[in-house]
Parts: sequence; structure tokens; C-alpha cells
Amino acid sequence: MNNRVRELRAQHGWSQADLAERLDVSRQTVNAIETGKYDPSLPLAFRIAKLFRLSIESIFVPGKE
Amino acid sequence: MTRFSNKQYGRRAMLAMAIYVVLLLALLPYARRAEHLSLQILYALLPLVPIFYVIWLMAKRIWLSNELEQRLHLIGLGAATAVVAVFTLVSGFLAVAKVLSLDTAAVILIWVFPLLMFVYATVRAWAARRYGSDAFCEDDGIPMYLRFLIGAGLLSIVAVWAYFHSADEFDLGLLVGLAASLALGALILVLRRWRSRRSSGTDA
Repeated sequence: MNNRVRELRAQHGWSQADLAERLDVSRQTVNAIETGKYDPSLPLAFRIAKLFRLSIESIFVPGKE
Repeated sequence: MTRFSNKQYGRRAMLAMAIYVVLLLALLPYARRAEHLSLQILYALLPLVPIFYVIWLMAKRIWLSNELEQRLHLIGLGAATAVVAVFTLVSGFLAVAKVLSLDTAAVILIWVFPLLMFVYATVRAWAARRYGSDAFCEDDGIPMYLRFLIGAGLLSIVAVWAYFHSADEFDLGLLVGLAASLALGALILVLRRWRSRRSSGTDA
């Protein structure tokens, strides 16, 4: 799955640690999501979408299986 | 409840382990020599109190961790459970067949928890690397090389104590070997850290 989390975070001027604190996860989790190594659960994806005031499908895009 | 930072967890666990070593050295020699059964039980089990605290800390840490961390804990604990199951089954059957003595089987039981922790930490670190983290360089915890050094220091203290209290050669060799391995591990991690900082300094 591809995502725009890094781009959105940069737009807000947040560091990975800032975003991690806002989402109540570790910085390593934010890094793993941004690099596409980990796909978040639905509740976490909703939290990310709510934080950026966007829909989930505008942040997370299905990639090649 | 708020999440544990690696630093908070590391400090508490290290302190508990240090108390464990002190209690172990101070009380265990009296466990066999105590006159009353109740005192024997007390001397044998009191050093375990800090270990129970560490187990509770671990449970709390896993309970409060986020979803990716929980997945890493699950991978580590799953692998550790499998290794410990094989280790105890093999040892148990060898003891039943009287290939191993009951004393040896008792010593093996003492090593179950350290083995579980070692496999759990190693596999979790490996899994964390697959998700792009470097578990050996956690940015908000006690650096791994320092943990290895503290472990080596604690084992060295126990080895020196054992040497002056006429421990058998196998136990002494095991303690010295473990302390040396941890010290070597710490050295490798320091070199790795130094190389990584040097290359990032060159890139900048």
C-alpha cells in the first residue's frame, strides 16, 4: 500500500516524533508507515485521516500486490 | 495509563536486575544451609522478587505498546516460546531417561527464563529491522551497547564472587564466557555506532 503520510507531515512542518505523539504511537511506527514497510490498522488509519482532515482513500492508495 | 518510554522501561528493568544480582549473591548461599525449611524457602525465593517485577513491567509495556510494537513483541515471544519449548522438552526427556541428572535438570530450569529473554530480544530486534527500525539504536532508550556493558559488568561481579566462593569450574566458565560475549557484543555495537556516525558525517 502506498501513502502520503510523509508528504502530509512535511506540509504541517511536523517531525516524525511530533506526528507519533499526536497519534499516540512510537516514532518507529510512523517511520515504518511512511516507508511503506507497515500498513496501519483501520483504527490507526482513521486517526491519521482525522488528524490531517482528509479521507482515508486520499491518504492510502492500494499498491501492486 | 500512558505508554512506557524505552528509557523508563530500561531504567526500571536495569535497577531490578541489579537488585536481583545483589540478592542472589547475598541470600542463595544460605538457602541450603538454613536450619528451617521456611528460611530455606525464603532465601531461595526472595531473589526472584525483582524478576517478578521485571515480568510485570514487560507485561505492562506490551499491553500499552502500539500496534506495530505489539506485532514485534508477538513475533519475538512466539519464537522464544518455540525455542524454550524445544529446549525444555529435550532436557525433560533426557532427564526422564536419566541421561541428565536431576541436579543438571534443575540448573536447566534456571536457564529457561534467560534463554526466553535472549531469544525474544534477538528476534524482536531482527523483526524491528525488517520494519525499518534499528532496535540496537533506540533513540529514546538506554543504548544497546550500554545494556550489554551493564550485563557484562553484572556477570563479572557474579563470576568474581563465585571464584572466591569455590564455585565449580563449569559455572565459573559459563559466567566468564557470558560476560566476555556481552563485552564483545558491546564492542561490536560501539564500532557499528561509530561507523554509522562517521558515514552520516561524511554524507552531510
